[in-house]
Amino acid sequence: MAGRADVRGPQSPETAQPAGTAQPAETAQPAGTAQPAGTAEALVEFVGAEKVFGNGFRALDPVDLALAPSEITVLVGPSGCGKTTLLRMAAGLTAPTGGRLVRRTERMSYVFQDPTLLAWRSIQANVELVARLQGVPRALRRERARQAIAMVGLSGFEKAYPRELSGGMRMRVSLARSVTSDPELLLMDEPFAALDEFNRDKMGAELLQLWRLRGLTVMFITHSISEAVRLGHQIAVLGSGPGHLVRVFRSPSPPSADGSAGRDDAALRALRTEISELLGGARI
Amino acid sequence: MTRSRLLWTVLPPVGALLLGLLGWQLVVVLFGIPGYLLPSPATMVHTALVELGTIGTPAWVTMREAYVGFLLAGVGGVLVGLMMSRWRLLERGLYPYLIVLQTIPIVAIAPLFVVWLGPGAVTNTVVAAMIALFPVAANTLAGLKSTDRNLVQLYTMAGASPLVRLLSLRLPGALPAILTGLRVAAGAAVIGAIVGEFVAGVGGGQGGLGYVITESAVRLRTPELFLAVLAACAVSLLLFGAVVLVERRLLGRWHESALPAEE
Repeated sequence: MAGRADVRGPQSPETAQPAGTAQPAETAQPAGTAQPAGTAEALVEFVGAEKVFGNGFRALDPVDLALAPSEITVLVGPSGCGKTTLLRMAAGLTAPTGGRLVRRTERMSYVFQDPTLLAWRSIQANVELVARLQGVPRALRRERARQAIAMVGLSGFEKAYPRELSGGMRMRVSLARSVTSDPELLLMDEPFAALDEFNRDKMGAELLQLWRLRGLTVMFITHSISEAVRLGHQIAVLGSGPGHLVRVFRSPSPPSADGSAGRDDAALRALRTEISELLGGARI
Repeated sequence: MTRSRLLWTVLPPVGALLLGLLGWQLVVVLFGIPGYLLPSPATMVHTALVELGTIGTPAWVTMREAYVGFLLAGVGGVLVGLMMSRWRLLERGLYPYLIVLQTIPIVAIAPLFVVWLGPGAVTNTVVAAMIALFPVAANTLAGLKSTDRNLVQLYTMAGASPLVRLLSLRLPGALPAILTGLRVAAGAAVIGAIVGEFVAGVGGGQGGLGYVITESAVRLRTPELFLAVLAACAVSLLLFGAVVLVERRLLGRWHESALPAEE
C-alpha cells in the first residue's frame, strides 16, 4: 500500500478508487502517482521518496506526490505519519533516503507551528528577516514588509515586539514574514494548530486571500480534516506505522482564484466524511 | 514609576534597616557589649566619618581588582562558551575541568598564584577572574545551545552563513542566559578579589579590603572590620547594579526577566 495513491477527479468524489487500483483515465499517470489537474509541470514532485533514519527507524514508505503550481496541497493524517518529514524534504532540510524529490523553485518560505519570531526584534524587523538574510535590498524589503503587514491587518504594530502581541497576531506576523521574501512555494507545518477555532478560521481565510493575491503554491500540514477540505485543491491522506500515503483526493469544490465562485458545501461535507472514515479505518 | 509605587518599593527595606539598626544599638547599649566584640551602629558611623579616607584607598584597590577580574571573566567566559558550543569535542574535553575548577576552594589554590605571580594586584585579579569565569562560560554555553531549532532552520533555508547565524540569532538569543551568568560573576569576582587579598594582600597602602579585614580582625579593631565589610558590599552592589542596568537596557522590552512585575 505504501506510496500508492488514487486521484479523485474534480466534482466526482464518488469515483475515488482504493489505493493501488487507479484505473486508466484521462488523468492517466504512473501507478500510485497523484498528478494535479491540468497540464502545468508540478512545482514539487516526490518520486518514490522515502525516509529511513540513521537508527533504522522507517519514518516514511516510498511516496509519490506532485504539487501543481498555484495550488494548495494539504497533507492530513495522524501523528507520526511522516507529514513533517515530507514537508522538510520539500524544504531541503532533510534528504530522502530512497527515491527522489524534484523541486523546481528555490523561492520558498516555511511557516512553523509556532510563530518562530525573534523576540528581540520589532515586528517590522521580523517581517523583513528572511528577505534581509536573502540579501533583498533594504528599500524593496521595506516596501514588501509594509504590504505584507497591511495584508495581515497589523498596520500600526510595526514597532511593537512579539511579546506585546496575542498568539493569533504573532502567527500573522509569521505569515507576513513568509511572503516578504516573495516565495513561489509556501511550506506550512500545522501553522494554525495552536490557535483557537475563531482565529484558526480567520487565518485560513487570510491564507486563501494570500493565495489569491500571489498565486502561491502551498504545501500545508494539518490534523484538521475540516481545515484540509476548506483549504485544499488536493488533499493527501497519510497513514502511520510507518508513514505512507493512503490516498490523494482532488477537491470537488476547490477555492477559486478570484474568490467569486461559491463553494459546493454538500460536496465538501461528503469529502470530509469520506476522509474521516478513511482515517478512522484500519492501518491508518 | 509612580510616587506611591516608589514609596512601596523603597519604604519596606529602609524601614526594616532602620528598625534593625535601632535594635542593634539598644542591645549594645543595654547589655554594655564592648566595642571590640560588637560595635554599635553609632560607633560605626563615627568610625566611618573618621576613617573614610583610610577605607577609600583599599576599597579602590579591591574595586579595581574585582572589576578587571570581572571583565576578564566576562570576555573569557563568553569566548569559552562560544568555542565549546562551536566544537563539541572541546566541550567534552574542557567542561569537566571547568567544573573541577569551580569546585576547588579558591582559598586553597590562591597561594599557588602567589607562588607563580607574586603577591599583589595581579594575583588578586587573576583569582577574581578565575572564580567568576565558570558562571559566565556555563551560562553562555547553555544559552547558545538552547537556540530555537525552528529559527536555525529558517536561517539555514535563507542561506545565512554561520557567522550571521551566530551574530543575528544565537548570541542575541543567548543574551538572557549570559547576563544571568554575569550577575553571578559580579558577586563572585568581588569575593575572589577579597579572598586573593587574604592570602596575597600587601600592605603599605597597596592592600585592598581583604587586607584591611584581616588586619582589623587581628588587632580587634572591629568597627574598621565592619566598615571594610560594608565597603566590600558596596563594591559588589555597584558592579551588580551595573550588570542589572545593562540587562534592563538590552532585554528591557522583550524578555520576561527584565520586565516589571505584573500587578
